[in-house]
Amino acid sequence: MESGTTSPLSVSIDFQTSHLFFPHIINWTIGLLFVLVLVFRVVPFLKKVKRGESALPFIGESMDGFRFVGTLVLLVAYFYLMSVVGDYFPYTGYGFLFTSIGFLFLMSLLYMHTRTKRKIIVAGINALLAPALAWVVFAKLFYITLP
Amino acid sequence: MMDVLSSLDITFFLLTALGALVGIIFGAIPGMTATMAVAVCLPLTYALGLEHGLALLLGLYVGGISGGMVPAVLLNIPGTPSSITTTFDGYPMAQRGEGERALRICIVASLVGGLISAVVLFWFAPMLAEFSIKFSYVEKFLIILLALSVIASMSSNMLVGLFSGAIGIWLSLIGTYSLSDGGNGKTRLMFDVMEPYLFEGFSLLPVLIGIFGISTVLIEAERGISGGLKGTNVEVSKEKRFSLSVFKGGITNLVRSSFIGTFVGMLPGVGGSAASVLAYTQEKNLSRDSSQMGKGAPQGLIASESSNNALTGGALIPLLSLGIPGDSTTAVLIGAFTLQGIQVGPLFIPENQDTWYVMMAALVFANFVMFFLMFYAIKHIAKVVLVPKYILFPIIVMMCVIGAYAINYGIMFDVWTLLIFGIIGYIIQKIGLEVAPLIIGFILGGSAEVYFVKSLESFGTYSIFFTKSPIAVVLWGLIAASIALSAFIGFKSRKRGMRNVS
Repeated sequence: MESGTTSPLSVSIDFQTSHLFFPHIINWTIGLLFVLVLVFRVVPFLKKVKRGESALPFIGESMDGFRFVGTLVLLVAYFYLMSVVGDYFPYTGYGFLFTSIGFLFLMSLLYMHTRTKRKIIVAGINALLAPALAWVVFAKLFYITLP
Repeated sequence: MMDVLSSLDITFFLLTALGALVGIIFGAIPGMTATMAVAVCLPLTYALGLEHGLALLLGLYVGGISGGMVPAVLLNIPGTPSSITTTFDGYPMAQRGEGERALRICIVASLVGGLISAVVLFWFAPMLAEFSIKFSYVEKFLIILLALSVIASMSSNMLVGLFSGAIGIWLSLIGTYSLSDGGNGKTRLMFDVMEPYLFEGFSLLPVLIGIFGISTVLIEAERGISGGLKGTNVEVSKEKRFSLSVFKGGITNLVRSSFIGTFVGMLPGVGGSAASVLAYTQEKNLSRDSSQMGKGAPQGLIASESSNNALTGGALIPLLSLGIPGDSTTAVLIGAFTLQGIQVGPLFIPENQDTWYVMMAALVFANFVMFFLMFYAIKHIAKVVLVPKYILFPIIVMMCVIGAYAINYGIMFDVWTLLIFGIIGYIIQKIGLEVAPLIIGFILGGSAEVYFVKSLESFGTYSIFFTKSPIAVVLWGLIAASIALSAFIGFKSRKRGMRNVS
């Protein structure tokens, strides 16, 4: 790829492999910066952790595991089911509409701290209205493709 | 210009107003930003034409930046990062029963900041574009390098900023080296099985929507979704009436802060908090009497709010004249513009005079709409702060999905991109990397490659980046200066930290 024919700075790029030229440089840059970050940031940070002054991310912090994992599970299920249901009713946007109603309701329930009857009814109405409104506006009014 | 303006229809103004209103609501809800407002409302622009799309987007942008003042004053919580300094004086005033007065001072300051920056944008962007039109690939590459080094040096830590930027570039290179850019059409940085999905790399907008929309939801979920602010008092008290005389003697402050905001906005990747903090400290250093600042002085509000609204015009300058986004919101705007068929860069303004005037009209009008909406309806808007997150977040996710899915006319992989980059954005923020440099790196990475490789292909030597033109030398000087400045500041703050420890 590189040949030092005339001066140390001269370079010729072979067209066949030109797609790798710049990524190659970036890989090396990232590698170099990673080492620097490791030496100047990560090592001092770990020392602090050892002395008990800081907490490790992810492991050392308290987190609401139920809501976090719940969110991830709901997102994956939502995205996956959307295309599955959408395949049953192609070009209608029903996949989006039906799965959104379920997703909005479940996510609202997940995020509620105290589940009173009134709150659940509000969440239910919201879960029905918001996707329906979005579906009417985007799929019917604007002719935007929905799953 | 006049005939362009007279061709604008009522829908144009209604959409700007709608955008400003939605933007204000997003800005007013803590944890949601102008960037998110633009990202979430993108699907609305798909069906709109160019002019109407711009009207909505710029309305959202201006409204989103302004809305942050509401919870800052009433609840001592900055609604957006750039209103952090508004809390210093706004909240003490609200506690004294001057909530309405404080908000109205903020609103007037915002209007002035927004308009001054719009004027600067109007004069300066075409000049900069005309200047940069002569740039060859060499200078264009150096401009990108400069942008990245400025972003990195403005990050909390330069090394981390550079590293984040490099990761952004790396992510942008996944996929093919596009034939239309003079590449060879081969793919790189991925496995063959990924080719059907990633042949053209990750699409820009799903990446941005994922990072700014989904990862915010994930971070809040991890914190357990605060139960909302129910029961909190958001009554706008008005024991002391607002009058314009409060600005008497504050004109210098107002103008200076507006210019600081515009200038900081121009620097790529530098967030709004830098602008307002800078303007606030300048007022503190330079004003005759700063003893009341932090205890509820109008001058602090003026400095903070005029500078953060001045960001809007400032950030649009490099975007429209060089194609380099000035902050994360304009980074999303670049995607929205591409969608409307606008290629931002030096040729944009000269070749699209009409669009340029339409944009200016939308920007100025959005500022006035923001002013009237907030000045007269602030009492009602303040209530949106109370909308519970268990209602809000599911709707946001749904809007993100529409935005991602519809962007390339129905590709399910774009929805998965949302999730991938939502998680990446979450991890980045958890381990302390910086989002802004990464995003700018991602946006500019593709062009950086083309400019860099094409320069080398035509000149055959690395030395061309130093010897091509005097401009190249000046750009290297600026790159060196930004790095040196950041190293100097880092050194100084470390020394101060050492002194504090001892």
